[in-house]
Formats: sequence, structure tokens, C-alpha cells
Amino acid sequence: MFINKEDAMIFKKKWVVLWIAVWAVLCLAPVAPAATPAGFDDNEIRIGQWGPQTGPAAPWGSVARGSKLLFDIVNEEGGIHGRKIKYFIRDDMYNPAQTVGVVKELVERQGVFAFVGGVGSATGMAVKDYLAANKIIWVGPSAADQDFIQPLNPYLFAVYPLYRDEANVLTKYIVENLKMKKIGILYQNDAYGKDGLEGAKERLATYKMSLVAEIPVEPTEKDFASQVLRLKNSGAEAVLMYVGVPTSVIVVKTAANVGFKPQWVAANTCSDYPLMFKISGGLWEGVITGSFGELPDSKNPLMVKYREAAKRLSPQERWGVFYYAGILFADPLVEALKKVGRNLSTDAVVKALNAFKDYQTIGPKITWTDKQHQGTDSVTIQKCGPNGSSIQLQDWTTNDMATWKK
Amino acid sequence: MPIGQLLVEGLAIGACYGLFATAVVIIYKTSEVVNFAQGEMAMFSSFVAFHILSAYQYPFWLAFVITMLFSILLGILIEFLFLRPAKHPSILGMIVITLGAEMFLMGLASWKWGAEQKFFSLPLNPSVTYEPIKGMIINNWAIAVFAVTACIMLFLYIFFKFTKLGVAMRATQQNKHAAKIMGIRTERVFSFAWGFSSLIGAVAGMFFASRATLDPAFMMEPFLRAFAAAVLGGLMSIPGVIIGGALMGLIENFFGYFWPHWKPIIAFIVIILVLCLRPSGLFTKHYVKKV
Repeated sequence: MFINKEDAMIFKKKWVVLWIAVWAVLCLAPVAPAATPAGFDDNEIRIGQWGPQTGPAAPWGSVARGSKLLFDIVNEEGGIHGRKIKYFIRDDMYNPAQTVGVVKELVERQGVFAFVGGVGSATGMAVKDYLAANKIIWVGPSAADQDFIQPLNPYLFAVYPLYRDEANVLTKYIVENLKMKKIGILYQNDAYGKDGLEGAKERLATYKMSLVAEIPVEPTEKDFASQVLRLKNSGAEAVLMYVGVPTSVIVVKTAANVGFKPQWVAANTCSDYPLMFKISGGLWEGVITGSFGELPDSKNPLMVKYREAAKRLSPQERWGVFYYAGILFADPLVEALKKVGRNLSTDAVVKALNAFKDYQTIGPKITWTDKQHQGTDSVTIQKCGPNGSSIQLQDWTTNDMATWKK
Repeated sequence: MPIGQLLVEGLAIGACYGLFATAVVIIYKTSEVVNFAQGEMAMFSSFVAFHILSAYQYPFWLAFVITMLFSILLGILIEFLFLRPAKHPSILGMIVITLGAEMFLMGLASWKWGAEQKFFSLPLNPSVTYEPIKGMIINNWAIAVFAVTACIMLFLYIFFKFTKLGVAMRATQQNKHAAKIMGIRTERVFSFAWGFSSLIGAVAGMFFASRATLDPAFMMEPFLRAFAAAVLGGLMSIPGVIIGGALMGLIENFFGYFWPHWKPIIAFIVIILVLCLRPSGLFTKHYVKKV
């Protein structure tokens, strides 16, 4: 309560002045959109990655955590030209709608300079154009999709060998090294599986051969008895599999149940041998796969360094192929940042990446130019040995029929 | 064409669908609720069996007994915690509640055991096969599925026909209020139905897990197929769903052999055709309420 009218007037005046001041500030303040942070400052460079940390695809979430190991090592060694890497991992649950959300948050709120990895074709496709429109560099998508590289996206640099190239190389190995003539294929009925199918057909055509069975499967199916019986009846000596991890395990189990024992040859997606051996009850032993990385127990000095660092910095992680794939996908960005020096900019990093020629660490040799951003067509060929061990059958092999080079 | 082999494989996976569909039907028969958490209840019980086997290294029979007890408790708990508190829910409301329970169980399993696939095995060597007739290879898994399904069917027949509890369940299904007036404690009947259904689902879940891999999402597809088999056979008839499951397995395998593209959807096309002609399924009478 006011004591008298004067007090009340003074109080009212104060409120009026305050309101005017607030409106003045609001109206006269420079009208500018919330500026997107530059992606780096004098002390840090912000890098992001999405990946499934929960949900059905969570086993591939180790890719994003593998990249973290590399950035932790870089930071431990003093950073890059005085700047530490600030790394953001976001869980998209392998759901493209969520990928869009987390990527926008990282770009617009956290102001990341670049992305590395990112598991999934569909998830990557959902944000590819957004990243390009915002001139955000994206190195090493953790998926092989021709739509990532064609038409040329100036900010996207692919490391992962295309499934088409891998299937081509594996088919050549089956025919020339294993001397098998009757080859069947079981492929997932989507871009991944169909790329594998095309690669196998391309190579077989050069021998004037064709597949004895081409069988599509849906990734959600759980019973493959009829498909396996069809493969068995086709007389296939070798069966290529461009399918997911659960599918390939169920197929191998079903084949054992019906007495079908071909040479199984699978895509690199099924090359985590300790896992495959374990969940197939040992039936994965003897399966041949492509691979985009060194053997887990490789003596390559960099592999030794990363393996030791993993024991120290991330002892809870299993040293699996997808974990260190995260290093392999992120490594070229670190190298480019080192080459650019202190005067950092997106254009400078893009220029440095475009100049990569036969750059190799723990994966295939990478070459990018300003006209071609598919880094490689090379895979190694490996075989699952006893207890999920890896046996190298063939060193890095390029696909001499790679269509994207032409 | 390996007709004998396709027959064996079709009937074996069909028996598995039928067994799981029986679990769906037991709940539907008593409370007219389609339990969309059925798959995840089976998944969760299979994970419990896996955990007992891998973490405690118990023999399989002991792990099986503990898992069966757990699955009964799980069914009773879900009915008690999720459905009973709902005040006069509509059928749609009950279905939404079961969907919630499904998500809860899947999240819980992901949190506890992770999303990575696990190996689950029955004490049967998958590579041991028999060939009683030339071209008809039968494996241990299929023999076990046939034997267990036959035993459960026989038990259910005796249970529903000759036991007080079985008759009480049938009475509750036919008229809940009349059953109450006759002194049947219908809430206990519901609890029992959920526990019993969960147990049968867990047995089927372990068969599916040993054939495929174990992960929190592994029962989604088998549930859809088993539900379709139940609709095909008639949601009120237990022998009907077993035959529905067998038909489903056979249709899928024979079509899948010749036209693999069609395998995932052919059974559903057949079901749509059947339902157009017999809306209550093949083995249930279609009653039309007259006003």
C-alpha cells in the first residue's frame, strides 16, 4: 500500500521509465540472427559425429567411440597447432529423422567445424544436403553409398570402399583363387545388397559366367530355410552374402541344419570375427570376408600405437574392427588440419583434403582430387580362423573395373 | 525341388509360430486383449535364460525351470501393474497399454544386456541331422519343436477340458459378469492367463532365439507372423492357431523357394484372402450379434 498519492505517482513513473527502457533496448538492439559459431577458435576445433549408441544398430556405435580415441590421442599430444579437438558424439538410434535433429543441433548450437564417420546410408543421406548447404566438411561416412560421391559434393570425402567394388574383388578371388565356378548370392533387398549383386555380376561377366542363384532377403526376416534350400539345390559351391549381421548368422545356422556346406563369402559389414564367431556358435569359422582395415592384431606401427592407447584411454572398449574403423574414418581430417596450419578455414581444409594422394594409415590408400571424392576402391580379403581370429588371405586389392573412376 | 525338406522346414517353423500364437490366444480368449507386448515378454524371458546360462553357468534344465518361473511372474506382474490399474478401459486403451509395456520391456532389455546380438543355444547340436526318408533331412531343433508343441497342445486340451481352472477360464471368456456371479474370481483368472501365456511365449521365444540370434528386437518379426497365424486360424481356437501356424510356415517356405521376393508378404496376402471369405478365421465360428 502507498502512503500517499505522491508515492504512488513516483512508483508509476518508475515503472513507465523501466518499460520504455526495456522496449528501447529491444527495439534498438542490432537485429541479427543468432550467428552460427565459426567451428573453431584460438583454443579448440569442434568436430562431431552421429551414430547409434542405443537401439538395434548399437553394435556399430563403436565407430563414433573409436574416433574419440583418435581425438583423445591428438589432444594428449598437444592438439593441432595449439588447438585442442572438442568432440561431440550424438546418438541418432540409426533413425534418419533423429540424425537430422542431432546434426542441426551440433551445427547451429555447438557450431561444429566438421563431421567424421556417421553410421548408415539412410542417416547420411538425410543430412548430406544440409551439411553441404552449410559448408560443413564431412570426412569418412561410415557407409558406402554411391549417392554420397555422385554428383560431386565439394565438402564430402568418402573413405569407405564401395560394396560394388568389394563384391567385384571377392568374386574375382572366388573364381581365380578358390577355383569355384558355381557361385550364388544372397543379398539384402536394398541399395547395399543390390550394389553387392551388381559387383558380382560385373566380375562374372568377364569370365562369361553367371550366378547360379540370386536370392533377395528382407533385413527383418528371421527364417531363411527356403532360401538356403534353393541355394543348396542350385549346386552353389560358394555363396556371397550382402546381408546384415543377424541375417548372415541365421543363414549359416540354417545351412548347418539342412546339411549345406558351401564356402561362405561375406561383405565387410560381417568382418567383426570375434562377434560373428560368438553369435554363430563357432559356425563363422572358415567364412571369408572383405575388409577395409588392417587385421586387429596387425603389427603395423600405427595399429600398435592405437591398440596400446585404447588399453590406456578406453579400457572398457573391445578392440573390434568397427571400433578402430572410427580412427580410420577420422584420421584424414586430422591430417588435413595439421597440413593447413594455424590459419584455419573451411576452404583451406577442403583444399588440403583435395590434395590427398595415396595417403595410408590403418586402412586403404586414399586419393582425393577436386573432381573425385571416393577415396579408394581397395579391400583386403580375410578369413575367420579358430576362436574368431583373423587370417589375411590377400593384401590390399583394387578393383580394376571400378565404374566411378571412369 | 526338395519337397520333403521344404515340408519339414515349413512345418517346424510353422509349429513355432503356432506355439507362440497359442500364447497370444490364451490372453485373447480370457480378456479379449491383443497383447502387443507378447513378443517382448518372450524376448525378456529368453534374455533371463541367457543370463542364467552365461553369467551363472547353471545347467540348461535348471536355467529352463528358473526361466519358466520368471516368465509366469512376468506375465502376472504386467497384468497387475499395467492393465489392472486402468479404470474401465476400452479395448483400444488396453492395446495401447500393452504397446507401452512392449516399449518398456525392450528398453529395459537394451539397458541391461545391450543391443549387440547374443548367442543363445538349446542343448542340441544343430549340425546333427537325420534322413528318415531320402531327401527329407530333419534336425534336432525341428524334432524338439514338434515334440514340445505336441506336449503343450495335449496339456492345454486336458487343462481346458478337465480342470476347474480351465473351465473357469473358459467361463470368464464367455461372460465375465456371469462368471463373477458364479463365484469365479475373474481377476485371478486374468492373472493366471497372463502368467500361463507368458510361459508358453517364453518356450517359443527360446526356440526362435536358438534358431536366430538374441537381441532386444529379435521377437518383433516372429510376433507379427504368429499373430497372423492366430488370425488365420481364428483368435478363439487353440487347435486353429496351431494349424494356422503350420499353414503359414508351409506357404512361406514353398512360395519362398520359387519366388523369394514374395516370401515376406505372401502369407499376409493369403490371410487377407482368407479373412475376406471367413472373417473369424478358418477354425472359429462367426457369430453375428442380433439386436
